Amino acid sequence: MGETEIVYMESLDPSTLENYLEKMCSFEIPCFFVSKGLEAPQALLDAAERQGRPVLGTQLGTQEFTRRFSSFLEAHFAPQQYLHGSLADVYGVGLLYIGPSGIGKSECVLDLVERGHRLVCDDMVRIIREPGETLVGVANEELGHHMEIRGLGIIDIFRLFGIRAVRKRKRIEVVVELINWEDGAEIDRTGLADRTTEILGVSLPLVQVPLVPGKNITVIGEVIATNHLLKLKGHHSAREFNRRLLEQMKQVDYIDEVSE
Amino acid sequence: MIPQLKTEVIILNKLGLHARPAALLVQATSKFKSDIYLKKNEMEVNAKSILGVMMLAAECGTTLAVSVAGEDAEQAVKIVVELFESKFGEDQEE
Repeated sequence: MGETEIVYMESLDPSTLENYLEKMCSFEIPCFFVSKGLEAPQALLDAAERQGRPVLGTQLGTQEFTRRFSSFLEAHFAPQQYLHGSLADVYGVGLLYIGPSGIGKSECVLDLVERGHRLVCDDMVRIIREPGETLVGVANEELGHHMEIRGLGIIDIFRLFGIRAVRKRKRIEVVVELINWEDGAEIDRTGLADRTTEILGVSLPLVQVPLVPGKNITVIGEVIATNHLLKLKGHHSAREFNRRLLEQMKQVDYIDEVSE
Repeated sequence: MIPQLKTEVIILNKLGLHARPAALLVQATSKFKSDIYLKKNEMEVNAKSILGVMMLAAECGTTLAVSVAGEDAEQAVKIVVELFESKFGEDQEE
């Protein structure tokens, strides 16, 4: 209820106003807001009181209030889910590591932290879907930035590595799935597949990494992040490689034709 | 058809699901191939993850929904239920 509404209410004769307000308050309205610091008309307060509808006031103008309150409601009712995985910020890219228990997601992320990247949370990532098809991973308030490392137990990343090693929230941009190498038969060998996966209805690029003893998974993680940044800039390495290969093959055909 | 089982457990021990029982639970669940999840209200956690289990902050008297899916689901459910019922070996009256 802004200035326009208040003025309108004051322009009506008391019995009509009372009638209108009764009808309005009979609807399942959670509450009324009176903006601009205006005084709520007594008739409104009475009708609201009778039907048990709270009337709240704000100093903000109607437009500003509506804008801020809509944002608040959107954030509050945003779809969310918990996911078993580890979220890290690598070169500014949000990488969500998933995979079977005990495969080494936490150890991977620990190594990334050691190399200067940042942990958002380990084990249980709270994912919120924000407007604009954006998925954000949020750290857990109570548990802070702890991590479980098999053999070590629970460690506190913030205390061990400092403020530069942690983040409260990060947009999820790439999902990195760690898989046992025996299950890795279907691995994309060229990088042209551009696989995706879906979380809360949002499509995300998916990279599947088979774990083979001796392979440096940390560097692979960093390259996934930087490759993603390249793709965002418009350079798709695998496609570019294939394009050049096709060009080269075209030239060979031409030479054969000439020599005949 | 992969066996999928659901059941409920109640936390009987006084101090709830703190570090020690959580560790016992995770040690037991990690031995199984099945996926095991515990749910408290809206929050569902992987029962093989100690951080996840502790994050539930499940106090004495809380009911948790257990879902298990996998080839050894039956044994997994049995062990999980046993652990909760035995109060994780705590609160023993001398």
